[in-house]
Amino acid sequence: MTAGLSRAQLGVTDAMLHAYADVVFKLSNNLQTRRGDPIRRLELDAVDAQREALGMSDAQIAGRIGLTPAQVTWIRNFAENRRMRVNNFQRLLELGGGRRHREERFVPHEDRFAYSEAALALRESLHFDDELTARYVQAGWWSNQTLSAWLEQHATATPDKAALLSAEETVSYAQLQARVEHLASALYRIGIAPGEVVTVQLPNVPAYVVVYLAIARLGAVMSTLYMPHRAAELETLLAHSRSRAFVCLDATGDFKPPETALALQANDALPDLQQIIVAGRAPAGTHALNELLSGNAGPLPPLPVAADPLLLLYTSGTTAAPKGVPHNSHTVLSNAAAGVEAHALSGEDVILSAPPFGHLYGLYSLHLALCTGATTLLLPAFTPPALAALIAGSRPSVLFAAPAQLIACLHSGAFDAHAIDSLRMIVLSGNAVPARLIEQLGARLPRATLTQLWGMTETQAGTYTRPGDPPELAARSAGRPSPGTEVRVVDENGAARASGEEGELQLRGALLFPGYLRNEAADQSAFTDDGWFRTGDIASLDQRDNVIISGRLKDLINRGGVKYNPRDVETLLDAHPAIQQSAIVPFADPVLGERACCFAVLNPGHEITLDDLCAYLLECGIGKIKLPERLQIVAEMPLTPTRKVIKGRLRVVDD
Amino acid sequence: MSRNRAIDPADAKQQILAYCKRKGALAAGVADVAVLDRVAPPGHRPSDLMPKVKSVISLGVGGQTRGAWTVPAKAMGYFGSTESRAYTIAYGCAFFIEGRFGVPSIYCPPDVDNAFGTRVPLQSLKLHAEVAGIGARSLAGDILLHPEFGYMYFASVFTELKLPPDAPLAENPCPAPSCVKMYRKVGRTPCMKFCPVQCLSGTIDEQGNQVEMHYDMAACADLSEQYEALPMMLSRAAHADDADDVLLDPDNKLFWYKMSVGSGGLLAQCFECMRVCPIATQAPQADPILRLEAAERQAGDEQP
Ligand code: SF4
Ligand code: SF4
Repeated sequence: MTAGLSRAQLGVTDAMLHAYADVVFKLSNNLQTRRGDPIRRLELDAVDAQREALGMSDAQIAGRIGLTPAQVTWIRNFAENRRMRVNNFQRLLELGGGRRHREERFVPHEDRFAYSEAALALRESLHFDDELTARYVQAGWWSNQTLSAWLEQHATATPDKAALLSAEETVSYAQLQARVEHLASALYRIGIAPGEVVTVQLPNVPAYVVVYLAIARLGAVMSTLYMPHRAAELETLLAHSRSRAFVCLDATGDFKPPETALALQANDALPDLQQIIVAGRAPAGTHALNELLSGNAGPLPPLPVAADPLLLLYTSGTTAAPKGVPHNSHTVLSNAAAGVEAHALSGEDVILSAPPFGHLYGLYSLHLALCTGATTLLLPAFTPPALAALIAGSRPSVLFAAPAQLIACLHSGAFDAHAIDSLRMIVLSGNAVPARLIEQLGARLPRATLTQLWGMTETQAGTYTRPGDPPELAARSAGRPSPGTEVRVVDENGAARASGEEGELQLRGALLFPGYLRNEAADQSAFTDDGWFRTGDIASLDQRDNVIISGRLKDLINRGGVKYNPRDVETLLDAHPAIQQSAIVPFADPVLGERACCFAVLNPGHEITLDDLCAYLLECGIGKIKLPERLQIVAEMPLTPTRKVIKGRLRVVDD
Repeated sequence: MSRNRAIDPADAKQQILAYCKRKGALAAGVADVAVLDRVAPPGHRPSDLMPKVKSVISLGVGGQTRGAWTVPAKAMGYFGSTESRAYTIAYGCAFFIEGRFGVPSIYCPPDVDNAFGTRVPLQSLKLHAEVAGIGARSLAGDILLHPEFGYMYFASVFTELKLPPDAPLAENPCPAPSCVKMYRKVGRTPCMKFCPVQCLSGTIDEQGNQVEMHYDMAACADLSEQYEALPMMLSRAAHADDADDVLLDPDNKLFWYKMSVGSGGLLAQCFECMRVCPIATQAPQADPILRLEAAERQAGDEQP
């Protein structure tokens, strides 16, 4: 309506709008240009001459272009409404007033809150229990700790402090932040938006940390592939995670991740994958990581918050189908922040992780370092000599390792060839910690704290021994729950077991993931009705509530209805001089249901028979029912990145 | 009529301007109606509003307190209310002229012209003030600035009494020397740089004078004239899958709030261009504290 007349009455057609909306808008007061100062100077001819530029009234425009004034008013109003944005004043509020305003920092609303359907689905999977959420927030476990905030804090407080140490370079906190912001803006530029998943397959090199923190800065989500993963895992995990980008090396031995990903992309096997980013030579159709790091830094979306998803990891469990484990900063970073104090870490520490960052245990060490502003020492690929030489050369104060890694170092003599006396703490996790290993390490490092830690991809650091605990505790126990965590040990019916009695370890707390991604069946079996997470581990609690892990529920052998845990047998076998590593798995038996088969990797130059092995076990006091009934010697075990045996992949060969 | 002839225009002018200042105006002057009629477009000339108008009196009141410039942006938008003080004085002035001189007078309505929507005023108070010599157009979208009083709000009185007109300001205080310096360095003045929607641009010559001023009023209005957002929001709600989503959106609730309390916040400007303007904030008498200090200085000078 204009002057009470409808558009039809005024004769304003679509064709007219199309033709005149722009020119009416431009001639109107909406866009004004003044040359000189003609009114103040009373240069009235100049006023007339620039009437158009100064902005004209509707009547003047009507006379200028040959429309009626009412038509011009209708058309101008239409053109103004078309441009009008409700809530544009948010721009002002966000930038702050006065001289704080920086127009280049403003990201239009429509760009920043455009979560894709995949990103929304992942956010949807962060379905935490409301009561527990309130409890964790009120108790202070969950606050707004983010990796970006930690990085900013250290880059400001200790800009020159080494954040990363590698064989090639030392990266200060200020440099790290600059690289992270640079890469984050480059990723944003090529379409990686907040909430999207980026899968990373890199060794523990500085670029890994930069990529992870850049993903975190964007509010995107990192998923990981282990270095030994090949085409099958790449396809399965990138498809399941609906990854938008894949960051990888140009080659790992014969395996060429970029070409593999390109081929999968070409076959439409990975419809969500849009960008492949290569550390090294980037084939056509991919981006070179170095180029993304070297271009001009551009705009960034607003800082992420702790409730945003941060990680989407796949279980290192030995089940066949991978399970996607989403975490946000609340779960993993609250756990890390509490861990800094509980492990007595400080910004002075130099922390080395022997396991890869592809695994949450490796990332835990990184989270601790970033929380406290410590230095992270990087070991690209574990071998006993490489680890030992790095410790001797760079003298870290804290080492995170899997027991099997250190056993290999001790057995190979690597720790004899290199001094490891800089270590004031060793954290062991990933598989059972043999008491003998604690003894051997204790003998070499009498003043060092030896910590046994138990955790899962679903939990990060669940329980651990603390500095100040008697050394023998780390030899037999995975310690007490991490701050903010509760554990219980229950029988098959969910009833609490008495102290010292074995049962299933169940857990809940601020560290716990909310449930698997798109896998209701897995959720149903993983969580009890009252919200506790079934870890699948067999454990008992001692008098002081220290957790003693004794095996995996699914590793139990059911021999004619008698169920037993083969862990103690394996521990004894691992101590046998001929045996480097053992694993006992069931094989089907028509009469008894299951019998036990022992798989063994032998130490060089040794041999052993089933009879020898049984005699040894009997001598050690093992009951006959637990004796293995087959022996299979193998060259190596299938291992997780934390060197846990993947029993599901051990195939018992028929006699 | 007879009364009219007996009036001395110069004396009447002096009395009228003195009235305005007594009532709180910082500056007041008389605009030449012939100039206004020539510059203003048809329909918006003084005589379109008051057929027998002979003089237009323009007055300005202080723009902001000094404290107002220190508040965050979200509160800054609510400081658009000092103009009502100017209107009150103008209202009183019209009564004063009729009562004292017996000549028809009106307080000029500051409102928009109903027939042309929200961005076209009935009369340009800015034009009146500029021609009356109490403000000059700045690079900040032609906001008037005064070399002594900085940034003011204006109101006008129309009267059939013939008064001797004033001349426009001889000098334009905008751009200030510091703005020229900044312009030479980065190509923009403070108001241009810090406008949240970048709706200001322009050029300055070698002598430091304005050459061109560009103002995107649509962008400025889009940011700060939220009354246009209300119908837009209703229209969106009418077409949305979930109208509640639009109408009860926390940000949109703000509009309902403003409607319900009749708040004038963000109804004209966001004021950011003025907040960073050295004339608006630092002219010798730009705020009450500066005026107090000036008065104290003057009192000191006058003491024997
Ligand atoms: S009022 Fe605000 S939007 Fe308008 S010109 Fe000034 S700073 Fe820009
Ligand atoms: S900041 Fe003020 S004085 Fe400087 S150019 Fe802008 S309006 Fe003029």
